[in-house]
Amino acid sequence: MDKKRYERPVIIKQYSGLMNKFGSSPVTKPMTEIDGIPIRRMVDEYGSPLFVFSEKKIRENYRKMYRLFKTRYPKVQFSWSYKTNYMNAVCSVFHQEGALAEVVSGYEYDRARRLGVEGRNIIFNGPDKNTASLERAIKESAKIHIDHFDELFEIIELTEKMNADVDVAIRVNMDTGIYPKWDRFGFNYENGEAMDAIKRIIKNPRLHLTGLHTHIGTYIMSADPYRVAASKLVNLANEIYKQYNIVLDYIDMGGGIPSNNTLKGQYLQAEQILPSLEDFADAITSPMFDLEMPHDELPTLYLENGRSLIDDAGYLISSVIANKRLSDGKRAVIIDAGVNYLFTSHWFNHKIVPGQQSGEFTENSAVYGPLCMNIDCLRENIVIPSFKKGDLVVILYVGAYSVTQWMQFITLRPNVIMVMEDGETELIRENENIEYINSLEKVPEILKNFSL
Amino acid sequence: MKFLIDSILYSYAQIFFSNRRWFGLTALAATFVSPVLGLFGLAGALISNLSAVALKYDRTKIRSGFYGFNSILVSISVAYFFEVTPFIILLAFIFILVTFFISSTLEHLFAEVLNLPGLSLPFVLTLFIFLIFITNYDSINYRGFTFQSYEIFSALPEFLISYFRAFGLILLQPDIISGMLLAAGILFYSRILFVNSLVSFSLNYIFLHLLFSSPTEEILILTSFNAIVASFALGGALIIVSKKTIPLLVIATLFIIIFTGAMLKFLDFFYLPVLVLPFNMVVLFTIYSLKFRQEQSDLVLLYFKPGSPEENFYYHSNRKSRFDKFKYLFPELPFFGEWKVSQGIDGEITHKDDWKYAWDFVITGDDENEYSGDGNHKEDYYCFNTPVVAPLDGEVVKIIDNVPDNKVGEANLNENWGNTIIIDHDKGLFSSLSHLKQDSIKVKKGDRVSKGEKIGLCGNSGRSPSPHLHFQFQLTDKLGDKTYEFPFSHYLVKRDDKYEVMSFDYPKEDDLVRNIETHKILKKAYKFQLGDKFEIEYQLNGKTAKENWEVKVDIHNNIFIENDKKSVAFLYPREKMFYISNFIGDKKSALYYFYLSSISVPLGYTDGLEWTDKFLTYLTTNNFIRYFSEFFLLAGEQIESNAKLSLSYKENSEREFIINSEITNCGNGIFSFYKEKANSQMLIDSNGSIKEFSFSSKKNTFRGINKSKEKQ
Repeated sequence: MDKKRYERPVIIKQYSGLMNKFGSSPVTKPMTEIDGIPIRRMVDEYGSPLFVFSEKKIRENYRKMYRLFKTRYPKVQFSWSYKTNYMNAVCSVFHQEGALAEVVSGYEYDRARRLGVEGRNIIFNGPDKNTASLERAIKESAKIHIDHFDELFEIIELTEKMNADVDVAIRVNMDTGIYPKWDRFGFNYENGEAMDAIKRIIKNPRLHLTGLHTHIGTYIMSADPYRVAASKLVNLANEIYKQYNIVLDYIDMGGGIPSNNTLKGQYLQAEQILPSLEDFADAITSPMFDLEMPHDELPTLYLENGRSLIDDAGYLISSVIANKRLSDGKRAVIIDAGVNYLFTSHWFNHKIVPGQQSGEFTENSAVYGPLCMNIDCLRENIVIPSFKKGDLVVILYVGAYSVTQWMQFITLRPNVIMVMEDGETELIRENENIEYINSLEKVPEILKNFSL
Repeated sequence: MKFLIDSILYSYAQIFFSNRRWFGLTALAATFVSPVLGLFGLAGALISNLSAVALKYDRTKIRSGFYGFNSILVSISVAYFFEVTPFIILLAFIFILVTFFISSTLEHLFAEVLNLPGLSLPFVLTLFIFLIFITNYDSINYRGFTFQSYEIFSALPEFLISYFRAFGLILLQPDIISGMLLAAGILFYSRILFVNSLVSFSLNYIFLHLLFSSPTEEILILTSFNAIVASFALGGALIIVSKKTIPLLVIATLFIIIFTGAMLKFLDFFYLPVLVLPFNMVVLFTIYSLKFRQEQSDLVLLYFKPGSPEENFYYHSNRKSRFDKFKYLFPELPFFGEWKVSQGIDGEITHKDDWKYAWDFVITGDDENEYSGDGNHKEDYYCFNTPVVAPLDGEVVKIIDNVPDNKVGEANLNENWGNTIIIDHDKGLFSSLSHLKQDSIKVKKGDRVSKGEKIGLCGNSGRSPSPHLHFQFQLTDKLGDKTYEFPFSHYLVKRDDKYEVMSFDYPKEDDLVRNIETHKILKKAYKFQLGDKFEIEYQLNGKTAKENWEVKVDIHNNIFIENDKKSVAFLYPREKMFYISNFIGDKKSALYYFYLSSISVPLGYTDGLEWTDKFLTYLTTNNFIRYFSEFFLLAGEQIESNAKLSLSYKENSEREFIINSEITNCGNGIFSFYKEKANSQMLIDSNGSIKEFSFSSKKNTFRGINKSKEKQ
């Protein structure tokens, strides 16, 4: 038998009177392994902190979501939202599953191309596509989703200059009854701007309107706005069909379906209040049946799910650096992963669980990162058991936007690994070193010498 | 001139149910063993065909020998029965014209009224008229009936001599050499007919000796030649050869003997010869009577434009294995995406007895479970709340929509079927979809629904302990009526990450099934419309050539592609699949290779799509082994030509498709040593047109490129 683990004593306030009607205080189950690989072993091999992605989970998520839609509408195509996580290995898993690439900048476009995605399998979104990448996208027959009139005019000019045809779609924004209204992207539906853009495209012989696109927001906590959005796009598609006899290739409903991460200020856990994925699928697909074209010519339903497919497939393992008692008596834990790796912790209360068996006594604590900055706080309040220096914690639901929004600040960025389906672990991004960071910097000759 | 020669040669060939010019030439040569007979025959063919041309009859019919073959027989027999004098020649010419009119009348009359061929009945009739007419002249008498005898053949057994003489008599040749020539011609033309001639001759020989103590040679040869010609007609030319051919030949031979015996006595009153009358009567009676069987599945009468008996056999067997199971309606699976058959036909749980032709469908996840979570709530089940669609166009005739959905584990035995939609598919077929979600049915009684239209949601009502869709075909609009065995037209079954295309089949328990979703590019590439033109540049074994195709439609509404050499590929385009049903013509043409590379194509794409099909054996194999194997076609197909096809994206392209066919010709039974492989490939470009197709085997390599401008 192992030696019993020592845990420092905790003082708990004694309540008298009626028993707590919610039962005993919460016990957080520890997470000692990911897909069967002990996290301790991963830390020993790759260091701490460590980002871990699960190939199995990504594929599971993708297939589940795809099945949900594919059994509700005959033609479905997913495209992977690059900005959510454009780590090459992650994108490759999605492409292997059959997703196209959805990019929102020239840089992301280049990433997709370098990964081997053909232009015609890239959806090019976003308000800033710059001239050079537009030119490239036209040449490589990417699906360009036009965001504003200036872009439309530029594309018209470019196609004339290049003597090329191009398939385009427009992004449409609309009132779906939610706040904030995302009317800064695309053409507005209600004021007729969208139809104006469509008419201009149809009148131009070089531009071929192949789709409609909307993206009503992010982390949408109700399914109904999707129903509204889908109906409005379907109306638009029917209008195009009736007026111009054009059958669109696809209707792109974007993404924005939430993951199980809990927003700050949200009272209940996300798992308890979010609609099920089935509800979202129902809301998006039901209005599609109002499309008026013949059944076997129905447009394909495109989806650009990001967060909901990757968030719970990403983990951040971190080690406890120190324990502290704050001035008001509240306990604080300092761990070696900070907000520089988890930009998302500014709006999410990321779930943090212990990485090893711990005692049953828990205490309300603050979790701080290692940065010497006041903002470096991962959780202001979280009920966790006590830790010793060197203990591991796992931060959950960090697959989305973490490794694209992270920054090198005060410290360098750590290793990223993927647990493969066969049980192996593969390094998918090496930790940074000072040479890598310094290699981009130039010091003017005159500043090179100093003596202190 | 070529047209006239063709018509003459085909006239000769027609007598033997052949459509080969070289065979006509052989027959012509056989008549010239006695030059006088030969000249008369040729004159007969020439005069009647020229008359037909002059009178502007249908040129394709003239060319096929339709108007010539009776005249040949009449004119030969005139020379056969009478001393040739100028007067007889004159009479013969007149009677050739008489034959022409009688035969064109009779052939059409038979075809229109009885849907039968006229055979050589016109010849018999005209000759009888001639023979009776000639009795007006006392001075003209019958010539003797003697066979030319040859020293060198005296060593041959009597049996064989009679066999060749009988062959000779088909063309009224009193000469064993003509008989030998014709027998050799038949051997090269068709192994089936050759075997038939031996079989029927032997049968006739045996039966005749059983029925009569010592038949004269005259009777033997008369019956034999009738039996041989009858065996041609009944054993391959007009009825497709099969195992049942032998019993048919036994019966036919017996009939021939009886008819000959009867006719001999009867016609004796009028001093008339029997000739081919027994053959005509037996064949016509047999074929006409066979038409009235309830099931025509064996001893199949020719239902298509005839080729050689071998070609007829291959065509029929190919058509049977490819299209026999096709039905008059093309239902599809009543849902979107991939579902699993949780209970199939004859299922253990409820699909029994009168209700056995039914399916239960559910959705399963990667872990093969039907639900996520603990599965205690109906919402946990993947299929719950997913759309259910109409399997076919039809009218909604019954709706039940108010049965509450059960809790998981409970079953409502009072309202067994739960919420149900019954659709009338117009042609006596009804389909019934049960256990739907309460209040989810969006159509009303009397609504027209179209195939694939969403009509409700999968639920858990009625006798349904967990959410699933119950589907059955039936013959009335009654709720819970007994099921009717009817297949789904085209669907995919998942097997080891591959999807196999099934046609008119029944999904089996545990199969993962889905519909074919048409792909724009494939659909466009295989949409051939009347008047579409193609220009194909190709290389066959190093030689470059060009070929033009045009899409045409014939009077039976069959759509086909014809190239400039008049080769044709018949198309059978369906909603979800494209087929080439037949190819007739030049095997050196690009169109032939198009047949080899696109025999059938699903018009939708899924990863790992695979299917099989069957080529016409005589189109893909042409060698001694195949010819030899045709001696045994009676016993069934000896050499098959199978294709294994797959559809994939071209490497590094999401818009260009490749169809790969692995063609395997292999023998069955004693020919199992024979195996030959070939490959073909079809490339469809992103604009939805045929870009390139290629073929390679040990003997041939082909590569064709579509040079035509994009079709509209």
